Formats: sequence, C-alpha cells, structure tokens
Amino acid sequence: MATRRHFLKFTVAAGLAPAVVSAQGKARVVVIGGGFGGATAARTLKALQPTLDVTLVEPNPIYTSCPFSNAVLANLREIDQQQFRYDGLKGAGVTVAQTSATAVDAEAKTVALADGNRLSYDRLVMSPGIDFNWGAIAGYDEAAAQKMPHAWKAGAQTVLLRRQLQAMEDGGLVVMSAPANPFRCPPGPYERASLIAYWLKIWKPKSKLLLLDAKDAFSKQRLFQNGWAELYPGMIEWVPLSQGGKVTSVDPATLTLTTEFGSHKAAVANVIPPQKAGAIAAQAGVADRTGWCPVEPVAFESTLRPNIHVLGDAAIMGGMPKSAFAANAQAKVCAAALVRLLAGEKPQEPILINTCYSLLAADYGISIAGVYRPDKGQLADVPGAGGVSPLVAVGGLRGQEALYASSWFHTIVAETFG
Amino acid sequence: MHRALLSGLASIVLLVGPATAADAPPGASSCTGCHAPKKVADSVIPHINGRKAEDIVTFMREYRSGAWPSSVMGRIAKGFDDQQTQAIAAWFAAQPE
Ligand SMILES: Cc1cc2nc3c(=O)[nH]c(=O)nc-3n(C[C@H](O)[C@H](O)[C@H](O)COP(=O)(O)OP(=O)(O)OC[C@H]3O[C@@H](n4cnc5c(N)ncnc54)[C@H](O)[C@@H]3O)c2cc1C
Ligand code: HEC
Repeated sequence: MATRRHFLKFTVAAGLAPAVVSAQGKARVVVIGGGFGGATAARTLKALQPTLDVTLVEPNPIYTSCPFSNAVLANLREIDQQQFRYDGLKGAGVTVAQTSATAVDAEAKTVALADGNRLSYDRLVMSPGIDFNWGAIAGYDEAAAQKMPHAWKAGAQTVLLRRQLQAMEDGGLVVMSAPANPFRCPPGPYERASLIAYWLKIWKPKSKLLLLDAKDAFSKQRLFQNGWAELYPGMIEWVPLSQGGKVTSVDPATLTLTTEFGSHKAAVANVIPPQKAGAIAAQAGVADRTGWCPVEPVAFESTLRPNIHVLGDAAIMGGMPKSAFAANAQAKVCAAALVRLLAGEKPQEPILINTCYSLLAADYGISIAGVYRPDKGQLADVPGAGGVSPLVAVGGLRGQEALYASSWFHTIVAETFG
Repeated sequence: MHRALLSGLASIVLLVGPATAADAPPGASSCTGCHAPKKVADSVIPHINGRKAEDIVTFMREYRSGAWPSSVMGRIAKGFDDQQTQAIAAWFAAQPE
C-alpha cells in the first residue's frame, strides 16, 4: 500500500516537475551510514547505474565489523582484521563525505552535515545501525560503559573487554547481561558467552560465566545449550527472565549487576543494553514509538516519510533479524528498487535470505537461516524454508560450518567494502 | 533550440535509461552474500557464477528434496519453487565466471 502510494506520487511528480533532475541531469542518492547496509547500498547503486550521483555520509574513516568480533575477545583474531576502509567505494565512484549527518529535512529533501555542508537528494537511504537506550538499566550510561563495556559496537569497546578478561584472575566471575528482543544480532550474546568460555577454559579454567538474560528463550537455544554442555560443562550458567535474569541496575564502581531477584558482583562485566535505531533516524522522523523504523517490504521506504529508505538494524523488517547478512541483502534489494523508482518504474517483489553463523569454539559452528518475501505489508518467512543446524551433527558438520562461517565473512566484507 | 531540446531529452534518457535490464531475479542478490562473484582464496563455499543453469537447478532441487546432503543449502533451497529457481540459475549462468 505504502509503496504504491509513494510510487504514484513519485511518477506524478516526475511527470510534472523537474524535481528529480539535478543541474547535471543526474539523479542523486544520499546514503547515511557506511556499515553493512549503507556501504553495500552505495556500491550496488553505482554498479547497477553508474550515472547515478551517490554520496555516502560516514564519520569514521575505518569501519570496525561486529561480525567475528567475538573471536577477537577469545584471542582468535586481532581487531585490525575486523577493520575496513572506504577506498573500494571511492574507487567504484561513490563520493564519501567523511562526516556525520546531523539533520534530515524530508520536505526539502536535504541532509545537513556536521561539517557545515548540506546535500540534496532525490532518494535518501539510511542505515545508521543502533544506538543504546542509556538509562534503561539504571546506572548504565556512557561513563559506566568504560568500566562495564558493552562491546556491542565493535572497536575500542571490544579491545577494552578483551583487556579486562586478560587482566582478570583465574577463578574470577564474568557476568554478561543480554537485552530483551528486538536487538542487534539475536544469537550474538550466546556466541560471545561461548567464545569467552572457550578462552577461559584454556587460560582461566577456574573461572565461570554467568549470563543474565531479560528473556526466557533465545536464538538457536538448544544448539547453544547442547554445545555448552559438551564443550564447557559447568562453566556457563544462563539465567532466564523468569528466574531473575533481567538486570535493572548496575553499579560500575563495584561491578555489581542487580536483577529483580538479587545482586551479582563481577570480576568482568559485559552489559549489552537495550537498543534503538541510530539517533539520526528519530531526528529524521522515520522512527516510531518503539525506537525502530517501520518500512514497506519491497523497497524499504519509510512508512512515515516519503523518499527515505531505511535498512539494516535500524528498520523493522518483519521476520528478518538484525544481522549484517540481512543488512547487506536488504541493501542490494533496495539499490535495485531505487534504480527502478528513479526511472519511474515499479520495483519487483523481492525474495531475501538471511543466515547467521555462530561459533561455539574455533572449529565449532552452527547456523540459522530464513527466506523472506513481502506478505501483508511485512517481510514474512517463506513457510517450509529456513531453520537451524541439526541438533545431532554427523560427519564433521560443526567444523564444516565454522569454515563456512569464515568464508561467509570474507565474502560479505568483500561485497560490502570492495 | 534543437540543441537545448536534445540535451533536455538526453538528461531524461539518463534518468529513465535501460537501468533495469540487468535486474537480478528475486532472491539472486542474496545468494552472493555467500557465493562470491570471483573465486576467493579465503572462501570454501563453491563458486557458482558461469555454471550451467541446468546444473544449478539440479543442485537446488536435490538440496530441496534432501537427496543431496548439505549444511545450509537445503534450508535455503526450500524457499524457492521451480520457476524462481530456474530464473536464478539462468542469471548465475550468465554472470562472468
Ligand atoms: C558481537 C556481535 C557479533 C555479530 N555477529 C554477526 C554475525 O556473525 N553475522 C551477522 O550477520 N551479523 C552479526 N552482527 C550484527 C551486525 O553487526 C549488524 O546487524 C550490522 O552491522 C547492521 O548493519 P547496519 O548497516 O544496519 O549498521 P552498522 O553496520 O552498525 O553501520 C551503521 C553505520 O552508520 C554510521 N552512522 C550512524 N549514525 C550516523 C550519522 N548520523 N551520520 C553518518 N553516519 C552515521 C555508523 O558510524 C556506522 O558506520 C553482530 C553484532 C555484534 C554486536
Ligand atoms: C549462507 C551461505 C549461503 C547462501 C546464502 C547460499 N549458499 Fe549456496 N552453498 C552454500 C554452501 C555452504 C554450499 C555447500 C553445500 C552446503 O553445505 O550447504 C553451497 C552450495 C551451493 C551449490 C552447489 C555448488 C557445487 O558446485 O557444489 C549451488 C548451486 C548453490 N549453493 C546455489 C545457491 C543459490 C542459487 C543461492 C541463493 C538462492 C545460494 N546458493 C545461497 C552457502 C550458501
């Protein structure tokens, strides 16, 4: 519905006014955020339609990938192996504005930048990722994150958490807290617990990990719990919501986490706080009261503001989880749809795939997959497709999936950053 | 006057040009998240660009039915019917190897 309405509006405008033709006769697309969604969208747009004028707005010269950052905590990778520059995008003809977007004017179709410039667009793509709901857990603010890192945006926080783990005495208690749904990377906290246990088992075998959870069920739960019993017996204790898992406040001075049932003092604390779409989304008027951005399921155009397309973690994508795989897949669909929309054509109905690999050890991988298509205004699971790795693995399957996980990572970053 | 008209037309052609001829069929753009367009040393996932369409269709059918074992392709192939699979296979077959 929303697509059709926007689409009609667009064709009418295109027929009457030169609104879509800039001085050079090129259509202009601005992309906010150079992560898995935004960088893929910018590159794909240029590849599909080289005459488009594509500007990517991203403040950081180097992107640090969250996928595989849990392996950095376990000393299996170094942080610089997680880092990617924008030279590939520049080489592909994307203009990279190394600054933040500070305001979007959906009426005037302009984006104000922190460096004082202003960009106008025919279509805007936003993939700003997440921001944290600071204060949702009493006492957990940006200062507290220096003592109790979230490491849910990779980079300095990842390095900080790894340093804390390395400095911890053998026998120390690691406490993690995981948020309620929805949040970035549903299997991420459990992969992290696994890989921290992997590392503890080698270097601090007397230590344990307590995982306090604000929900009663999680992604690939039986696979994770079976794997924990097999690989790290007695090391990981998972506390669900109904047994007092929800952390309501923290004290960074004493590394104490307080739940509805009691308090836990940690040697190292990793607090993954509740999240929302990156702040620029609310400023642009594309986030709703949940903090996330509703979009239609064909071109991911905002249902709140026309000509703004939202991708990745920031968007409400129906059945699709918030993952790098999903953000990249959505970006490719969005880019193809934009090329059509800018040509006054109707985008085709897409089908999308998501697959999230998780490592439980260096050579132990599992996965969850899904196939999605538009249904009743949402991206919905194609019935009968998708699912998780089998509970009983035969023929070295876990080792194979660990290899496929790293293959996927190399492929996706090459496709995203060039 | 003619010049102005022509350049006006040219800019319209730029906008509405044959942009969509290369549109991949639904689903195909998600496959490339795992199947890289070029052979990559760091990936053990098979390369499928430029493969014969009928071979890709056969693989997908057998993955879907479970006749051939797979780690993930069975779960993915079940999301596509024969017609969708054929369109995707033809598209990959036409991509440079
Ligand atoms: C520990 C961990 C492990 C993970 N593992 C996996 C995995 O194995 N597989 C998987 O698929 N996913 C994984 N994920 C999830 C994945 O990281 C995200 O889903 C993905 O990064 C989402 O892409 P995005 O484009 O929406 O946001 P991001 O990749 O976060 O990109 C957002 C970009 O926008 C920029 N930005 C924000 N605001 C502005 C602004 N105002 N102006 C300009 N730029 C702005 C930011 O600087 C950032 O570069 C993991 C996440 C975590 C935390
Ligand atoms: C999550 C990663 C992933 C995605 C997404 C994916 N594949 Fe695969 N593909 C694999 C892996 C891994 C194999 C090896 C078989 C297995 O273990 O599943 C494979 C094998 C194949 C093969 C067999 C090639 C050979 O020579 O053995 C074909 C054909 C194929 N995939 C086609 C596709 C198509 C078409 C799509 C999109 C609809 C797709 N794949 C999406 C990971 C993926």
